[in-house]
Amino acid sequence: MAEVFEVTDEIKAQYGKETDPWVYEVTTTSVRMYARGIGSTDPLHYDVDYAKSQGFRSIVAPMGYVGTPVFHPDTNDGTFGFPRRAGGTRLNLPMKGLLDGGTETEYLDYICAGDTLLETSHLAEVKVRGNMVFVTNESVFKDRASGKVVARQRLTSIHIG
Amino acid sequence: MPQIYFEDIQEGQEISELKKNCSTQQLVLWAAGSGDFYQIHYDKDFAQGTGLPGLIVHGALKHAFLGQLVHDWIGPAGRIRKFGCSYRGMDYPGQDIRCRGVVKKKYTENGMNLLDLDVWTENPEGKKTSPGTATVTLPNRQ
Amino acid sequence: MAEQTYFEDVKEGQDLPEFTIAPDKQQLVKFAAGSGDFNPLHFDEKFPMLQAMGISDNIVHGRFKYAQVGRLVFAFAGPKGRVKKFGVSYRGMDLIRKPITVKGVVTATKKEGGENLVELDIWTEDADGKKTTPGTATVALPLKG
Repeated sequence: MAEVFEVTDEIKAQYGKETDPWVYEVTTTSVRMYARGIGSTDPLHYDVDYAKSQGFRSIVAPMGYVGTPVFHPDTNDGTFGFPRRAGGTRLNLPMKGLLDGGTETEYLDYICAGDTLLETSHLAEVKVRGNMVFVTNESVFKDRASGKVVARQRLTSIHIG
Repeated sequence: MPQIYFEDIQEGQEISELKKNCSTQQLVLWAAGSGDFYQIHYDKDFAQGTGLPGLIVHGALKHAFLGQLVHDWIGPAGRIRKFGCSYRGMDYPGQDIRCRGVVKKKYTENGMNLLDLDVWTENPEGKKTSPGTATVTLPNRQ
Repeated sequence: MAEQTYFEDVKEGQDLPEFTIAPDKQQLVKFAAGSGDFNPLHFDEKFPMLQAMGISDNIVHGRFKYAQVGRLVFAFAGPKGRVKKFGVSYRGMDLIRKPITVKGVVTATKKEGGENLVELDIWTEDADGKKTTPGTATVALPLKG
């Protein structure tokens, strides 16, 4: 039986190919909005003085929030906000359905309001299971000032239908 | 939009129209941008529970549309000194909202080129749902 | 003052304090605002994709559930600890306004690379007890002494 999508050698050869970087901003406003968005009332996400008293640079990004990509209507997707940019890999999948498959974040340091991060992303893996195609991209987040990697995220999306 | 100049404007002339039609997504984007998460703008059951026919467009969003209307018309060298409106009628998502304006007065004061405008949003029945005014300055042709 | 858990006090098999939420539309709209994901799947009950997928009502963003297990492990780490890694898979959908319970359990403790690490299974469960968002986490904790 034919697979819904073939993961060719050409596609596999693209694994690891980095995009151009994109700026992600972490501001007090964006940290607080994300914290409100998840329903957290932890003052570490809202109160700068309190966060500093607990040893942090400023209010802490809730776990999973890695800043907001700088948005421009010419370059960013209007629904999801992600940037379209040079480099990386463009997969042309025929499926119309898109679902979130999984998220993993690895932290090498805390992310706090006031941080500006540079993000690059690459295709990590494509897998076919039945009528679903699982695409995993990995993003690396570096502190723009120091160049140090502060976090990595693996994002898996499911293409179906 | 191209730059317009004070000399070329006449009292009574209409300014370039801006047409809007809000999707539910647009109303949620406005909630995000403005911080106004009142549910009558995205939760139909909630809206109807308050006696409304369905979702309605935020008044402040229409105010922002009129701001965009004037901002676009005056061009990069123009300046908005003042603008405001009243929310007299409701507008709904999925329906055209025409943002329109007309020049009421052209004058100079303290060395500034000033125009007073009537601006408003208009629904498909022609009703002025958000009547307002604006005062702008325009540059002279060099 | 935020509570602090210390490495010496953690035992394999120990449960993290669970919590239950049932996000309403306002909460999902706030999450759209905070996360930048404005997919109408999560707030427009007439969105055609819902009907196409045979779903009766709006669904909770996967990443909203991810952030909930994130709250669990962040609280467990405390101000002196650090979440090193946490990840989940989205195995099942959760509908708007339905209860979601956020849980975790310690699966191992170990010393590695000069850190005191706690491995956890973390997940969200729907009202029928189905683990819709299973995953794992690694947290570094401080020592008491």
